[in-house]
Amino acid sequence: MRPSRFYEGTAIIIGIGEHCIGPDPVATIGLGSCVALILYEPRRAIGSMAHVMLPDSNGRTDRPGKYADTAVRLLVDGMVAGGCRRQRLVAKLVGGASMFAQFSGNLNIGERNTHTLKALLATEGIPIVAELTGGNVGRSVVFTPSEGGRVMVKRADGTCCEL
Amino acid sequence: MRLTDVQLDAIRELGNIGAAHAATTLSQMLMCQINMSVPEIQVVDIGQICNHIGDDYSAMVVFQLQGELEPGGYIVLLVSRESALRLTNTMLGMTDTDRDLSEMDQSALLEIGNIMISAFLDGTAMLLGIVMLPSPPALVIDMAHAGMSSLLATMDADIDEVILFRTELKDEEHMVNSDILFLPDTRTLTDILRLLESIAGPM
Repeated sequence: MRPSRFYEGTAIIIGIGEHCIGPDPVATIGLGSCVALILYEPRRAIGSMAHVMLPDSNGRTDRPGKYADTAVRLLVDGMVAGGCRRQRLVAKLVGGASMFAQFSGNLNIGERNTHTLKALLATEGIPIVAELTGGNVGRSVVFTPSEGGRVMVKRADGTCCEL
Repeated sequence: MRLTDVQLDAIRELGNIGAAHAATTLSQMLMCQINMSVPEIQVVDIGQICNHIGDDYSAMVVFQLQGELEPGGYIVLLVSRESALRLTNTMLGMTDTDRDLSEMDQSALLEIGNIMISAFLDGTAMLLGIVMLPSPPALVIDMAHAGMSSLLATMDADIDEVILFRTELKDEEHMVNSDILFLPDTRTLTDILRLLESIAGPM
């Protein structure tokens, strides 16, 4: 994957179900009910991000970044393989909104994505140091491991905030 | 599911007819000429959707497909925020484009969406011989990619690809650009292909 222009800087842009591990800035656009799962190792300034769409893989293994359960495994293993100490990993979560209450019935996928990720991170013993989840707004996010794991979240109306 | 070129052509033609009906109603509402692009139909991997649908501030009028087919899939009128303002200004006789979309604008957009998408589905019903009805519409004004990916997450099957049917309706006079996106789920698509096949012969 190559870096592209993303707002003020450049970043590797990942799509739905994709992921990226390494020291470079990573971004993903237009999170609705999807959740950006971000792991960060502060000492080595290495990070990873997955654009998670659904909570449960039901045994599928071909797109690990797409599901909460496989994505947590993928990012943790990938970072440990890259030389990170798993005790130092911290997590940030962005997304999990509910955009269309009318069509989702009683399945709030955004909430289930967030909930599942939190439960899995707790099992792994990885603390969630920041999150911006829920609500009913779309979010784009850029994560810069080299700047202290800075996460910028941008909304459709242009307002930004930092996690 | 894999589609043959002939199947893609058949769906493009179906969309073409639907879009022409929608363009006619938009033209009547705005009392001006509407140009329609040749519909694009692409099978897009979900990871690549962000290259087709961005995070621009947009108005999405979303309908679930209902009617004689089992409910399945969505049809969406997608308008950029700027176009949406020019569109409602034209309808409501206003000129200010530097403002938020008010409640008036929102109900105008819902109505435009309703009329255009109903015309689209009327057009396709004539060809298919069955009626796809739109559900009551939902309006979301936010990032286009956020809305579309949230819809995909609620579709029946765990999908890795979507059929992105997209046609552009353009009103040069008022600089209004809109897209119609048709996202049938697997079962609806199978039904549609079966019906098209019964009209056109085996594909």
